[in-house]
Amino acid sequence: MSELGRLALFLSFCCSVFAVGSIAYGLRSGFAGPLRSGRRAVWVVCGLALLSVIILERALMAHDMTYRYVAEHTSLDLPPMYSFSSLWAGQEGSLLLWLLILSAYGAAFLFTYRKRLDPFYDAVAMVVAGVMVFFTSLLTFVSSPFRILATPPSDGAGLNPLLQNPGMMIHPPILYTGYVGFVIPFAFAVAVLILNRSGTRWIEEVRRWTLFCWGFLAFGILLGARWAYIELGWGGYWGWDPVENASLMPWLVGTAFLHSVMIEQRRGMLKTWNIALIVLTFELSIFGTFLTRSGVLTSVHSFAESDIGTWFLAFILLTGTITTALILYRKALLESENRMDAIISREGSFLFNNVLFVALCFATFLGTVFPVVSEAVTGTKISVSAPFFNRVNVPIALVLLLLTGMGPVLSWKRATTSVLKRNFILPTFAGVLAYLLSLPLGVRGLYSSVCVFGSAFVATTIVMEFARGVQARKDVDPASLPMAVLHLVQKNKRRYGGYIVHAGMVLLFVGVLGSSVFQKEAHAPLKNGESLSIGPYQVTLRGIAEHQKNNAMHTIATVGVSRGGKFLSLEHPTKAVYMKSQQPMTEVALRSTPMEDLYLILGGVNEDGTVSIQAYINPLVSLVWFGGVVMVLGTMISLADRMRIRREGRLGA
Amino acid sequence: MTRRLLGPGSFILAALLVAGLLSGTAIPARADTSAKDEARAITDQIICPCSCGEVLTGCTCDTGKSMKAFVDSSVKSGKGKDEVMGALVSQYGEVVRGAPKAQGFNLIVWIAPFAATLLGLVIAAVILRRWVRRPVPAVATVSTGGAMPPVPSSDEELDELRARAEDELRRLRE
Repeated sequence: MSELGRLALFLSFCCSVFAVGSIAYGLRSGFAGPLRSGRRAVWVVCGLALLSVIILERALMAHDMTYRYVAEHTSLDLPPMYSFSSLWAGQEGSLLLWLLILSAYGAAFLFTYRKRLDPFYDAVAMVVAGVMVFFTSLLTFVSSPFRILATPPSDGAGLNPLLQNPGMMIHPPILYTGYVGFVIPFAFAVAVLILNRSGTRWIEEVRRWTLFCWGFLAFGILLGARWAYIELGWGGYWGWDPVENASLMPWLVGTAFLHSVMIEQRRGMLKTWNIALIVLTFELSIFGTFLTRSGVLTSVHSFAESDIGTWFLAFILLTGTITTALILYRKALLESENRMDAIISREGSFLFNNVLFVALCFATFLGTVFPVVSEAVTGTKISVSAPFFNRVNVPIALVLLLLTGMGPVLSWKRATTSVLKRNFILPTFAGVLAYLLSLPLGVRGLYSSVCVFGSAFVATTIVMEFARGVQARKDVDPASLPMAVLHLVQKNKRRYGGYIVHAGMVLLFVGVLGSSVFQKEAHAPLKNGESLSIGPYQVTLRGIAEHQKNNAMHTIATVGVSRGGKFLSLEHPTKAVYMKSQQPMTEVALRSTPMEDLYLILGGVNEDGTVSIQAYINPLVSLVWFGGVVMVLGTMISLADRMRIRREGRLGA
Repeated sequence: MTRRLLGPGSFILAALLVAGLLSGTAIPARADTSAKDEARAITDQIICPCSCGEVLTGCTCDTGKSMKAFVDSSVKSGKGKDEVMGALVSQYGEVVRGAPKAQGFNLIVWIAPFAATLLGLVIAAVILRRWVRRPVPAVATVSTGGAMPPVPSSDEELDELRARAEDELRRLRE
């Protein structure tokens, strides 16, 4: 079967090269035949990638140790669901998943535009096939998952314990669906530049694809944060780890694009900027893979390092150079068609918002790579971690939060003084009120105060926008308030979906504020019957036991949680030592309520027989997860708008 | 004049002043920071030097535990934040600082993000001013024959137009 896998990958490489060549020839000659053949070749790559995945999955599930990949990433005692997810636990398998999702995007693209005869769409397919050439060549010539061992071991090395979490089943595929999807906007942009196409129709298509990937990336990041919260056992969910940063960067630039694209659609401006943002988003998604694979930086995600990073760096440089040259060559095509009426306008606020998103991305990028640069220049090893990012990124993010509230209530073209007064007084009042109310709760410091003010400000602008929409429609739609809001959203999903995303963002900010500023921590070595106090809770050790479960030895503490003398529950913080690697892993005990999480970690059993228990109270952390879900929901609503337009368009035709 | 002075803007200004006073005086700042909080302020700034690479506060590995014990005992014995951090840096190296010291080459990482943000905002403002002063492009009037209907400038206006169109369509159907 491994030969079949290798053959499938080799054929997928050949088909990718053929697709690029055939479509390029078709575009140049104007013949339809080569274009058709090229498109079919993209479909074939998708089929071959699927076949390769099935072959590798079969080997993983059967623990076929003749495959080097299987021997390196599984073991006989590995539960089936982790054997399945081992496909994306190592480098070769991850690359194969990349190829599968990439080719699936290529196929989905061809299916979506199957009735369009415009060669522009063939050019887009050609660029996607060009990216496929890179990944298929890596899988065929550099990092094949189908390498066979001359003497297979009786058992494999096992899966990294960090990856033995249910989150492993969905976090990487969801994140990859976001990452890889940015290839489609990138391909659109390059096709526009190659064919010298003007017009705004393509930009709406790009917006839709970007929104889709952006939503998946946001969801993937959220799942990763939740995984870190449960699995890493340090009381938080975002540690500014290099690979976390790598996933955040394309999301930030993608967010900037989703705002600035509105200016291009409305006013025909910022064309060069938008193309640059699309290209940068794609390059950053490749950069994320480079960071994971190269091992140049220390990361909790560095479980699949190799020298393959050089290939990714070369690919980033190559695609970056080509697209920059194309942008410069076609600069006449990208000139603005319009003029701006006033600086204080929605266009103006979106432009400043774009600068801040890109600045946030730059700060994250610089902080991420700086340890390597500093060590190369000064010879001293340094760390750039959470304390740095919290000091640099938080102020920029807070200004962005304020702009989130300002942008939507400013008029397009020009915001008059009366509009400013009408739209800003109530949100400002709400912000000040929220700040005053937060003072007795203990909110102190500039950043926390701005966060409280900004969150209330943005939330009020969102409520005002909904209220005005309902008011404007009250003659047409005399339904009850909830139904009127529902109808309002249905009538303009794109706009109100966007507001729902903003509402999710506000919830997330409040959650981050609560769980960081008001976090409480306590740790102590406890004997049986002894208690640890944290906030209103008493945590009492009731016992400790050991037992083997699956492929790990679990040390389980039983602790009783009470509040004000009233017993609440028994919790079981656990330490698992995986037998293959002898690596200890933390399994936290969580007592979640909408207001706060009591987060318990078993530090271990000390030499004197005491048990180390570490406890956190994370207030409002539930808002982080709920806000993320609201953001994804808003994205889905915005995407549904385009589907309605297309359906109506088809019915009209 | 009086009405203008007592408008909503002045109320907000007054509220902000009150808020400022409240945050500065009415409720005392955390001057009585306990030893526990002081230790937390240090462990929040230190990275565990073992392979886990976590901020010391949340680290549960053996190296982290011994470092936390050192911080706790140092703070209890009356040592200041700089002194404790200095001792950790001299033992484990600069790598344990979660944020590099703002000196020498490392100043770049502190200055560049803010300098770039400021530069970006200035460039955006200059571009916006240039665009505002730009003459109306002829192409817009030629392509529409000079009879382009006015584009609604606010979403509110758009909502109203949409609702009115829906209303008229509904009446037509009836």
